[in-house]
Order: sequence, then structure tokens, then C-alpha cells
Amino acid sequence: MRFFLFVTLLILLSFILQEFLPTFEWAYGSRLLLVHAVFLAAAVAVPFPAMLTFAFFTGLLWDARYFVPIYPGASVTGLITQTELPFGFTILIFGVMGALIQGVRPLFRRGRWELPVFMIGFCTGLGLVFEYLIISFHRGGLELPPELLWKLLMTALFSSLVSPFLLLLFSRVADRMRYRIRTEGLKRRHTYDGDAL
Amino acid sequence: MSRLNIIFLLTFVGLLIWVTLFQPDSIGKIQRGAMVVTRPFMGASNELDGAVRALANEPLSPAQVKAKLAAAEQERDRLRLEVIQLDEILSENNQLRNALQYLEKSPLSLVASRVISRKPSNWYNTLVIDKGSDEGVAVDSPVIVPLGEEAGLVGKISEVIGPHSALVLLLTDEMCQVSAKLQNSQEQGILSGERGALRTLPNLHLRYLPKEIVATPGLKIFSSGMGELFPANLLLGEVVNLRASVIDAEAVVKPAVNFDNLVDLFVILPTKDAKALPADAAGVPDPVTPSTSVKP
Repeated sequence: MRFFLFVTLLILLSFILQEFLPTFEWAYGSRLLLVHAVFLAAAVAVPFPAMLTFAFFTGLLWDARYFVPIYPGASVTGLITQTELPFGFTILIFGVMGALIQGVRPLFRRGRWELPVFMIGFCTGLGLVFEYLIISFHRGGLELPPELLWKLLMTALFSSLVSPFLLLLFSRVADRMRYRIRTEGLKRRHTYDGDAL
Repeated sequence: MSRLNIIFLLTFVGLLIWVTLFQPDSIGKIQRGAMVVTRPFMGASNELDGAVRALANEPLSPAQVKAKLAAAEQERDRLRLEVIQLDEILSENNQLRNALQYLEKSPLSLVASRVISRKPSNWYNTLVIDKGSDEGVAVDSPVIVPLGEEAGLVGKISEVIGPHSALVLLLTDEMCQVSAKLQNSQEQGILSGERGALRTLPNLHLRYLPKEIVATPGLKIFSSGMGELFPANLLLGEVVNLRASVIDAEAVVKPAVNFDNLVDLFVILPTKDAKALPADAAGVPDPVTPSTSVKP
């Protein structure tokens, strides 16, 4: 329980720190998405129900702060009343990315961080790709300029670079708080020919 | 998957659907609450950003600082005069409109504002300014900055987040579209930014021009005033090149405003008629004439 409280406080702290993180013009406006990195690193360490809970409130807070109400062109005719990226879309992104990264929990538990570090960057970039695809769907035409690819790559890279420190922090705090990272639900319950183990 | 996981998953999906069905006024309330909490940090972040930018510049001697201050004061006085001049031009414009019975007489007023957060969004080119519903700022209010003898268009208010904060959608964003005309010409097109506007100095695109049009590089682009969202004759940029297709022509436009160095901006407050619609639509109280308005 204390560990979950620690994760909650760290996510709230990351929102404050995010305000101070600049965008890098040399990297086509990319920046370190600290909130995403903290959530994804936490998602490696907590069980599935807790991950969903964190995904919900982290996504809700993100949209409360960063949601931009841009309506697609057809909205002027009254055909569309929903914004391009609906309020709450980040909750979905966090939920999907969190579920994806839960797959590397056994590796994190064994102290193998290579794949979790890669996955944190990958999932951050993938979330941005989803958002861009939704925007492109609304506006029509998929534009993929090199700047966009650089922005996605650099944002993912920044998340990957910061993630070892976050994983180390979660690992140390888990040890100190006697929180044990369990991998229940990930066990293989059946043999490949269908017989129960 | 265990029963507990399924219960949490279903609850998560249910809550997600519930959140996506929030009405704009509910979202506005949530965002205003978030703004109240984060505003002190945004201010501190902006100050830190300014300090870092100042550090990045070369250190100046006291004499240079004094000279720079004197030049800045002169510039400030000149800009004040220009704002007054702009106000007069726009008032004259309104009077002409009145004569043509397109609009009722509506004196224009500006409110000075300062940028408190830059590019908060991943995909939209936006700024947060320190003026909001209490100063009469409403959704779609144009935002300008003085540029020499002209006023340059910065963008429009996308959302009034709170009593003292509003979100500005910059001209460089694809979704900020302006009816524009070429200098000394009545040919008009639609000016908009690029998707994502990822480059440091993104170009704008003036589309739907007649294919026979001749536009030399350097020709200035102004707002046409069509659509009544943006006043006419706001400087938008200058032509870089022109591409003609079978149907129409498109000009690549270099923006007049340097969007990276924006600090002090002016919001054109809505006129009487224009006030009611966006303010009501955004759930913002009826704007009142602010004490900070710049009036001739």
C-alpha cells in the first residue's frame, strides 16, 4: 500500500516537473514526457488492476492540463461536435500502453532492464503515433514529413534515457518498502497442446 | 485473466466512456481547476525559461544595458503610438462597415497580455496567456503583436481556461485558418499552417488562389477581413514562392511574426455583436470592458 502511495506522489510530482521541461527546437519540438515515463515505469512494477487505476487518473490529469479543444473542419456545419482528440483519449493511450508494458514485468522482476527501458521509449512514441493518426484521420491525408519521424524518435529516446533512473528508483523503493513485484496472471496455465499444467 | 483483473478492466472501460462523454462545460470546469493548481508552476517555469534565455545571450556591459534600455523605451513609446494608430484604423474600418450596414458601430478595444506557457501541447501550436474571462477575452478573439508600422496576427483564442488565462492557437497551426489577400490586390485565399508545425520556423500556406495569379517573392500577405473573425489588414507574412496547379495556385508564405520570441501580445476584444456568440458558446461570462484595455 505504501508503494502505491509512493507511485501516486511520484506521478503528481512528475506533473509539476513537466511544467519546467522545455521543448527542444533542434529536435523538432520534441521534449521529455516525464509523466509518460513515470507512468510506464510504474506500470512495470505494479499489478494489472493498479496499472489501470494509475492509467485512469494520470490520463485524466494530463487531459485536464494539456487538452486542446480543436474541432475538425466539419464541425462548422454541425456534423461533428467532438474534438479531434477527445477529452479522455490520453486515458485510453495510457491504458493500452500500460497493458503492453505489463508484458515485461517478469524481466523487471529478474533485474533485466534492457527490454523495459526500450519498451518505455517505444510505448511513449507509440502513444504519440496514435494521437497523430487520429488527427490525420480527422483532417484527411496522412502526412509523414521527416521532421515528424525525428520528433517521435527523439521523444521516445528521451523517455528511454530517463527510464533507467526511474526503474532504479522503483526497484530500490520496492525493496525498502518490502513491496514484492508479483507476476500472477502471467503464468502459463496450459501446455501448448491444451493440457492443464 | 483473474476475476479481479476483469472487474478492473470493465470498470476502467466504463469510466473511460463516461469521461469521453463529458460536455464542454464540464471539461472547462476540470481544466480551470487544473489551471488553478498548475498556474504558479507555469509562472515559475516561464521565469526560469526567461532566465535561461538571458544566460544564453552574451553578457552586456552597464553602458550597453543603458543604451539597450533607452532604445527599448523609445521602441515602447513608438509601439504605443502604433497601437493607437491601429485602433484608429480598425475603428475607421468598423465605421465603414456600419455605413454599409454590415455591422453595428462597435469600438475596438485591445487588452495587453503576457505569455505564461509555451507549446504545452504535443501536436497543437499553442501558447497560454495571462488574460482570460475576467478581462473580456472570449473564444476566437484575434491575438496580435505590433510589427513596425503594422500589426501582425499571432493567432486566435482557442479556449478561455480561466478568469486570468486563455489558450492561443497560433497561426502556424494547421487548424488556425485565415482569409487572406495579397498586397495591392483583391485576390484572396485561405492561409493556414503546417500539420504539427514541427520546424523551428514553419512556413504558412496560402491556398485556393486563382491559378492565373502573379505573386513575386517578398509580396506581403494581409488578412482580408472576410468571415469577420479576424479584422482586415493584419500582416500575416510575405510570399516565398508560388506553385500553380491545374485548378488553383498555392503560395508558400514566411510568417511575419517570430513565434519563438513572443512575450507581450494584444488580444482584440470581441465587439458587442460578436461577444455574445463565442462567450456563450464557451460558457464564459459576458465580457466586460477591462481596465487594462488600450484605447485611443
